[in-house]
Amino acid sequence: MTIKTSHILKMAFAVFAIGLALYFINKAADSSLGIETSDTIDITPEQIQSIRDIGQWEFLAVSDEELVDTVRRGFFSNDRLARIYYGTMRIGVDLSKVGEGWISVEADTIVLRLPPVGLLDDRFIDEARTVAFFESGHWTAQDREAMYQRARRRMLSRGLSPQNLKSAQDNADAQFRQLLRSMGYQRVIIRFEE
Amino acid sequence: MILWFLTLFLLSAAFAGCKGDPAEGDARQVDTIPMLVMQIQKCSRLYTTEYRVHKIVTHDDVVRLRGQLFSRDYDVALPIGDRKVAIPMDATLKAYIDFANFSEENVRRQNGKITITLPDPRVVMTDTKIDQKGVREYVSLTRSHFSDRELSAYEQQGREAIIANIPKMGIIERARESAARQLIPIIAQMGYEEENITISFSRDFSITDIRTLLELNNVER
Repeated sequence: MTIKTSHILKMAFAVFAIGLALYFINKAADSSLGIETSDTIDITPEQIQSIRDIGQWEFLAVSDEELVDTVRRGFFSNDRLARIYYGTMRIGVDLSKVGEGWISVEADTIVLRLPPVGLLDDRFIDEARTVAFFESGHWTAQDREAMYQRARRRMLSRGLSPQNLKSAQDNADAQFRQLLRSMGYQRVIIRFEE
Repeated sequence: MILWFLTLFLLSAAFAGCKGDPAEGDARQVDTIPMLVMQIQKCSRLYTTEYRVHKIVTHDDVVRLRGQLFSRDYDVALPIGDRKVAIPMDATLKAYIDFANFSEENVRRQNGKITITLPDPRVVMTDTKIDQKGVREYVSLTRSHFSDRELSAYEQQGREAIIANIPKMGIIERARESAARQLIPIIAQMGYEEENITISFSRDFSITDIRTLLELNNVER
């Protein structure tokens, strides 16, 4: 018998003895003992890595939930992992991409030349909100990363549809008109660059 | 006899099934289940400030013997073996001004001067990313690996911890300054002198107010 095996046997015996002792103690009056593990995380600091000014005008938010399922086929059984990912794709106009003189005023008419609407941020999945739906077998960090990328591709293909982009552009047009009319301009011309 | 043949047939069918499986011993992964829900919402929000936050979520899973024995409290760590995990994660927080209800009431013009009163800034967590390659697990021989459910629960707690600390980051004040920096050049292009433009906000904020203004996007409560 190796030293390692004997160590494991000793530990198994200790666990058995503790379990037996707990059983009898809990039978005794005004006594209660139990084995517990903690489910809470430790207190650790947050570090602000960067702060920046941005000018992103959002006109359409597409919230998506994707259930990604993966199977690893084995000799005796198959392993499965299913996770639900949540993300919100924000579609709008990034003001850092507007051209020189994108606003021009002539008498009571204001003309806006805007860049095309698009996805405001490549990172839109709230991965820490992911729900573990089903798991059998042991899965690695690489497997989870691959699932994240798959969820991202699926969300993009559904969220950035021509209909949604058109809807975002129409809303951008309506919102800018309302904003400029509130500021006193009766005639508003809005053009989106190709 | 018939029973024996039937058993033999079933056994041979089972072995044939194992051999015939094209994915035998193959680590190929497939995904089968489609998307659940998609929700589309029209809005008009000007994002003015972005914070990127990094956090390492740690969890030390010690088995403890806890309780009361003959009117005395006990709390003893058992030498059954430890499990520890460290999960690095990044989060993006953005502050925005909601223009959905912006109207003439928000604009005051007088003698070539313009004053714009903006609604309260809000904060939203737009994404979180787990650094999967950076996750480290230390598990004793006598303990089981962390399950996906456990890891997800720790990640969700880390996300909540970041949200709870937003009021201490000064993001609202920064968002107000940034909104003015974004909007003044735009209004100047409409023909106003910069010194005649005033951006004001509808109210001052205390820490309590900031907490109520935080939009906890995608938070399951």
